[in-house]
Amino acid sequence: METTITPRSLGKPGILSDVLAFYAILRREWTIFTRYPSWIIALFIWPLIFPMLYILTARALSGPDGSGLAVFIQTTGATDYIGYIIVGTTVWMWQNIVLWDVGFSLRNEQMRGTLESNWLSPTWRFSYLLGHTGPQIVSMAMFIAITALEFGLMFGVRLNGSGWMLALMMLAAIPAIYGLGFAFASLVITVKEANAFVFLIRGLVMIFCGITFPVAILPEWMQSFAKWLPQTYLIHGMRAAAFSNAGVNELLPDLIPLISFGIFWLLVGYFTFLWMERRARRTGAIGQY
Amino acid sequence: MSDIAIQANQLVKKFPARPGTGDKPLEGGAAPKSGKKRWQFWKKEPKAMFTAVNGVDLQIQRGEIFGLLGPNGAGKSTTIRMLCTLLEPTSGSAQVNGFDVVKQANEVRRNLGTLLAGERSIYWKLTGRENLEYFAALYHIPQVIAKKRVDELLERMELRERANELVEKYSTGMRQRIAIAKALLARPPILLLDEPTLGLDPQAARNLRELIAQLKQEGHTILLTTHYMEEADQLSDRIGIIDTGKVIALDTPEGLKRRIDQKEVIRLEVTGWHDELGDKLKSITGIENLMTRRQGEADLWEVNMQAHNSRTAIPRIVEHISGNGTRLVNMNIVKPSLEDVFIHLTGKALRD
Amino acid sequence: MEITTLSQPSLLTQLRALFVIARKDWKVFWRYPLNAVSSVFQPIIWITPVYFMGKAFSTNGQATGFAAYSGSGDYMSYILLGTILTNFILTVFWGMGYALKEDMDAGVLESNWLTPVSRLLILVGRTLTSLLTTTITSTAMLIIGATLFGFKPTGNTFAALLTAIPMLVGLYGFGFAFAGIILLMREANTLVDVGSFLVQGFSGTNFPVKSLPYWLIPVSLMLPLTYGLDAVRGLLLETRTLFPINVEIIILIVFMFLMLWGGAQIFYRVERQVRILGTLGQH
Repeated sequence: METTITPRSLGKPGILSDVLAFYAILRREWTIFTRYPSWIIALFIWPLIFPMLYILTARALSGPDGSGLAVFIQTTGATDYIGYIIVGTTVWMWQNIVLWDVGFSLRNEQMRGTLESNWLSPTWRFSYLLGHTGPQIVSMAMFIAITALEFGLMFGVRLNGSGWMLALMMLAAIPAIYGLGFAFASLVITVKEANAFVFLIRGLVMIFCGITFPVAILPEWMQSFAKWLPQTYLIHGMRAAAFSNAGVNELLPDLIPLISFGIFWLLVGYFTFLWMERRARRTGAIGQY
Repeated sequence: MSDIAIQANQLVKKFPARPGTGDKPLEGGAAPKSGKKRWQFWKKEPKAMFTAVNGVDLQIQRGEIFGLLGPNGAGKSTTIRMLCTLLEPTSGSAQVNGFDVVKQANEVRRNLGTLLAGERSIYWKLTGRENLEYFAALYHIPQVIAKKRVDELLERMELRERANELVEKYSTGMRQRIAIAKALLARPPILLLDEPTLGLDPQAARNLRELIAQLKQEGHTILLTTHYMEEADQLSDRIGIIDTGKVIALDTPEGLKRRIDQKEVIRLEVTGWHDELGDKLKSITGIENLMTRRQGEADLWEVNMQAHNSRTAIPRIVEHISGNGTRLVNMNIVKPSLEDVFIHLTGKALRD
Repeated sequence: MEITTLSQPSLLTQLRALFVIARKDWKVFWRYPLNAVSSVFQPIIWITPVYFMGKAFSTNGQATGFAAYSGSGDYMSYILLGTILTNFILTVFWGMGYALKEDMDAGVLESNWLTPVSRLLILVGRTLTSLLTTTITSTAMLIIGATLFGFKPTGNTFAALLTAIPMLVGLYGFGFAFAGIILLMREANTLVDVGSFLVQGFSGTNFPVKSLPYWLIPVSLMLPLTYGLDAVRGLLLETRTLFPINVEIIILIVFMFLMLWGGAQIFYRVERQVRILGTLGQH
């Protein structure tokens, strides 16, 4: 007599298992990140050095007698040029890091050859990307906090407004910034010299969004283009919240476009991902590099 | 000209050890105590060293093919790197074509063609031809001669048609062929080939072995390293087996096999293998060096062992095997191969 | 049957080796076209925020605060020149140092080191191409920058170019030392990133050294690039220089020889260490 045993898979699909898988990806990302010795420099030194070039240039522009500074205060309405600049550069850094981190997350797995093994697991695949985002947000929050701390301690940059409003602005920006990252991640897998695209996007942010200057100074046509970039609103709103004591009402003109763009880019990111996934299943491109 | 193409005298190479991996101290209390008195804190600890090569002697005759075999971590690649001047020995000396590898490094390089790391050793953003022309110039080959030589080698390696395409578009086999052509550019009397057939399909590997045999006919001396036993057996005039930094055997393939001639190799194929069975078999007198290997995904195991006298051993083997869910599918008594010699000498398989 | 090598070293073959190395780097550089284009536009992108920021500090197109430090209110011409130097700095750090590491990881460095050519010569060959390609991309960048932001050299162009030569040669001499150190490092990214940034910051590429907090100025004064850039600007834009131009030129020339000699020494020393430690080709 023979009894046949039908093998039964141990995996039980459902919301709980998706959440657990999500958490597992989170943990793995964090572990890998902290295993590179240079992460300390990335987290502590870069927040300081990157804005410094612009700050020192601004200092030079102020002149030994501060005559230039007077002009600046008139043009921008901001008295603290250091605070003004670091808001802009921090936003730029944020988008830059997200493009590299989240943007290349799938590509890196592809190069390492582990994309396929991840793909073979039955988890909802978009959560894979979302998983990359978790630790990323945490480290970004640390990055921003450290920036604020370092500049607060060393240069006396002080908040003139509500920390909550500032946090609100940044929270509202998450969909836009990461949505862009998701769209990127899906494109990067199929494109060869993806680096060039990162340079392009962060270049646009650098030129149009007013990271070290008021957007009002730009020529008309550039200002019109700037209105289409969510980072413009983020920078403007953060400056208002941090240094001009802006409340929710004053921030609405920035919050609304920011959130709208956020929803837009999240959808773009999601659908690009679906498109890429379908295409990969057709052409078998996942395993190739 | 001397009959000896490559000479190595007591080559030793030590590397600074990572913590916990340094050379183990000798038995019997000869270990230096690291306990310093507290007031001696400024005295530096002697740095822990790891000995990769521990006194290697080699004499490779002109015109011969010499195979160097060894398991991973045996010191094979370290020895090779010392011979081709990429690494400086900690002590000992070596001469290639009569030139000292440390003091006359450039002369050694002029006379040595090397194949290391195959397809990673050439420029992917250059064409095959550009790669060869580039390296020809670095080998100081006069331009007129170089041009002819490059054409000649492209022809010989059957790459003439695709010579003007970027290497990044070549297959692995083609890249390997360019790498070999590069090694042959300066028509060096001595060639050092590190795992030349690794990653090649069987036909390509066969072509390459033919090429190596031809090169020997043409008068080149060849030092070859490989993981493939049959290849070493087939091509080499002599073989050196290296393990834990020393040459533990050096002889012709036949000579090496004769060493364990008194032994026979019993090869079993069984299903339902379990490890306790291995212990039982090992306890039979005259049985040594038991090795098991699973055949693919099925429940089929190949069990090899060496026996002094197969006649007395076999009944005991059959006794132990039958029953308990283990079934003997096949049994063979084979003449020892080079791989068996290897296992006999090192206790390890060549591929693990 | 006796086989003799085809290798016949002579002065001619040494020179040809140098040429061939430079030519190889040239070919490989242009075979990454997006990279070449990027190296022209990236600097433009980075100084655009500076341009607009400067406007926020200026009235009627003149930055009077800036003029008090540098002797000229034309901050964009000042910065464009600094950006050209930045190009060369980045090339030396990334092109020489980092590229060496990439060759090492790829396995191709070993191939080069197995040839009977001096390793320093290989580095010099790389340098030649690097100088040429960076000059080309910098010129392109200058033309575009001049169109967008305005560039008004009022001084002696020829003298300025002449002065740039010992500065660049010295920079590459430093590049030799840096390349050597990179050979030893397992992870080079951070060192190259931070290093290039600091050198940029302290040599006055984006702002007059005089505007730095006084306790940082000595660091700038230790960098030969500071004097070089200062002298070139002084000659080309007639800005006020830290020291008399003749003095700065002499300092430059002295540093040039020092860097060339020192850089080669350090490179040889480190290269020897690599041969002893065996880190080449392994990571």
